[in-house]
Amino acid sequence: MTNALEIVGASKAFDGRPALRRASFACGWGEVHALLGENGAGKSTLMNVACGLYAPDEGTIAVDGEPAAITAPADAARLGIGMVHQHYKLVQRFTVAENIVLACRDALGVRRPRDAAGAVAAKAAEVGFEIDPGAVVGALSIAEQQRVEILKVLLLGARILILDEPTSVLTDQESVQALTFMRRLADDGHAVVLITHKLREVIGYSSRVTVMRGGETVLAGAETAGLDAETLARTMVGEEGEAPERHARPLGEVRLRVEDLSVRGAGSIGVDGIDFAVRGGEIYGIAGVGGNGQQELADALTGLRAPARGRIAIDGAELAGRDVPAFRRRGLRAIPADRFRTGLLAELAVYENHGVTGVPAGEYGSPALVRRGAMRAAAAQSIEAYSIHGAAPGTAARLLSGGNAQKLLLARELRGEASVLIAHSPTRGLDVSACRTVHELLQGAADAGTACVLISEDLEEVLALSTTVAVISRGRLVGAFEAGQVSRAEIGRLMLGHA
Amino acid sequence: MLGPVYLVPRQEAPLWLRASTFVGGIALGLLIAFGILIAYGVSAGQIVNEFIVFVFLDLNGLAQVVTASTPLVLVGLASAVALKLRFWNIGVEGQMWLGCIAATGVALFDIGPDLVRLPLMFVAAAVAGACWIGIPAFLKLRFRVNEIITSLLLTYVAYQLVQHLLFGAWHDPGSAFPNSQHYDEGTERLARLGWGSTHTGIWIAVGAGVLLWIVMTRARIGFYMDAIGANADAARAAGVPVVLTTALAAAMSGGLAGVAGAGLAAGQEYRMTLFIAGGYTFSGIVIAFIGRFRPIPVVVTAFVVGGVYTAGDTLKVFYQLPGAITTLIEAVILLSLVTVEFFSRYHLTYGVRERA
Repeated sequence: MTNALEIVGASKAFDGRPALRRASFACGWGEVHALLGENGAGKSTLMNVACGLYAPDEGTIAVDGEPAAITAPADAARLGIGMVHQHYKLVQRFTVAENIVLACRDALGVRRPRDAAGAVAAKAAEVGFEIDPGAVVGALSIAEQQRVEILKVLLLGARILILDEPTSVLTDQESVQALTFMRRLADDGHAVVLITHKLREVIGYSSRVTVMRGGETVLAGAETAGLDAETLARTMVGEEGEAPERHARPLGEVRLRVEDLSVRGAGSIGVDGIDFAVRGGEIYGIAGVGGNGQQELADALTGLRAPARGRIAIDGAELAGRDVPAFRRRGLRAIPADRFRTGLLAELAVYENHGVTGVPAGEYGSPALVRRGAMRAAAAQSIEAYSIHGAAPGTAARLLSGGNAQKLLLARELRGEASVLIAHSPTRGLDVSACRTVHELLQGAADAGTACVLISEDLEEVLALSTTVAVISRGRLVGAFEAGQVSRAEIGRLMLGHA
Repeated sequence: MLGPVYLVPRQEAPLWLRASTFVGGIALGLLIAFGILIAYGVSAGQIVNEFIVFVFLDLNGLAQVVTASTPLVLVGLASAVALKLRFWNIGVEGQMWLGCIAATGVALFDIGPDLVRLPLMFVAAAVAGACWIGIPAFLKLRFRVNEIITSLLLTYVAYQLVQHLLFGAWHDPGSAFPNSQHYDEGTERLARLGWGSTHTGIWIAVGAGVLLWIVMTRARIGFYMDAIGANADAARAAGVPVVLTTALAAAMSGGLAGVAGAGLAAGQEYRMTLFIAGGYTFSGIVIAFIGRFRPIPVVVTAFVVGGVYTAGDTLKVFYQLPGAITTLIEAVILLSLVTVEFFSRYHLTYGVRERA
């Protein structure tokens, strides 16, 4: 039997950083094929190649056994490939029918939404959905919106359906419904590709599984029936890598204490009753798959978001509900996940970025006046000390490369006495040498007696640096271990909510 | 057939490019504006005469320009100080009206000793303007209400208030028109400089520009404004007091607008009329944008726009052109400038994309 979709030897690099390295994938008709991997493993990139969103640097694609030239989404659609992305592409104010006409006008051969209502309802009934074509999309639940997206793709004539982490935003019950539905589509003869990092879903609903790691295919189309969670988790996270040199250091007093912390999330998951304490010199690593409450936790710990409940104390001073300046006065420092969105002022100069946290703290002048000369001098010192390349005090921060921008951020945050450092994905998007520098700097901060919290989706990084390793899943800390006391596979299982 | 065209952002525009696009944008705008005037039947020679010779090379003309620029400098600064932080104060006229009311109140009721009456009028005007913008600022910072809507609508409320006063309690019984009584000579009027209709208000305006320049480049709040204007989220995360700074900048904006209103009343009209603040919101925004929200360029731009106003007035009278011509010229210059400047930030690439 021919494969529905086959990709051979696909490579793709962004700005010289490889996202796919000769990755392969093959999926047959009538199967739910799970594509498993950590964040950044290349799952979405590979499927975006199949959809014509990215042109691969090399590699070939075949659809139903025929070589296919897919250079644009329209090519993929013509070949019957449809993808439901993580972020739905729906107009919130439009009705279901209006959204569908917007996307499938030609496929349906209608121009007016009310002419499409019949076809939409018929297709929905055919696949077993209940959906009101006249309902306004913004008023639907996330699960219902997902159905509209699926319906859109089906009405466009897709026979190969790719769903990018479809259950990440759904409740457990909704997830079961959605996955059951995907099974049914496969039973009808469709090929369904399920991009996921949840082992439960792989084992419960897929017939075959492909695992990716670091842009490569490490397990290609194995029968799911013969695999257990342990094996899958280990395949996904890989074997122990070469760890950076770990600094040995004595631990001091507890500097950061978090009790019963709950934070309301922007999406479905926030932080749900977390307790932990970090001592001076300790690096408390929090591993987890993205979107499990990390952002909310980081926001609460840095004073950006008021917690719904619970306590946060730095050196014994209660700070929950206080604003950022109050946290910073207590010596809190932070490396945000998105360095150009919440870390740096891209349009301003390096020296202004370097000084912006110091000014509210009373550095560089009086409450009335600022001394820009002093700011420049301090920035020049940091550029030297942290070897920030391509930067003079007057350079616009946006011109720095990712690694140098991160060094600038660290130089700023590590100035003076830091009691607590919250580092959220501090090496995201950085190359190997910049990663190493950032890791050295984090360890250096801990050596100086700072209590460090390292929130990261990169398990390698968490295991390599942390004195204590905790796992966050669905807004809760589901395990905390001393370094070296836990296996990668164990952490992997906890990350995937499969304990 | 033409291939696809891609807009590629430039990493860093060199200084010469930024300078030449700025000058080129304004020149293009003037060229189009002159084209419009020629289409109206004004000859090229007359345009040069009205726009350059009379306005900038003739002492009487220059005096008119300075008089027209006095309020423009203040409203330009008022817009700039708010827009710098992306606080859209679209209610400059409303704050001018409130400034006018406050100054007139001080003048009519002879509040305070004669010696400090005039300063008191201006202080009252600044406070009133700041309070008027305070309403949208509070609603935005506390409840995230869009300040564009509230500040704009409050302009109409302010105008109703002015009408209420001028048709009612403050109506000058000696006049058939809705005016207040005249301000007292000597104590409540800005002194003439003895050069055309120019008055000491120009020193207030230029002084405000210099003061604001010092605040924005030297003061801590100026640094905070830079940070918030560049990236409010990052500024907040860095510990910058975003709410307080925004509130203060809004207050400065409203205060400057209030002073502009009071200056028009005390320097030109010598009373409150129904025609003091009309049209200044728009001019303020244009001037602030052209001046890149920086005080000194804003002051310079205000004088140029004052020249356009003066020339426009002449054209209206002597060539029977519609009054909207001044606004049209302003708009054309601004649109040309932003269009041309777009190309100092992006360049076009035809055909193949350099790299995906």
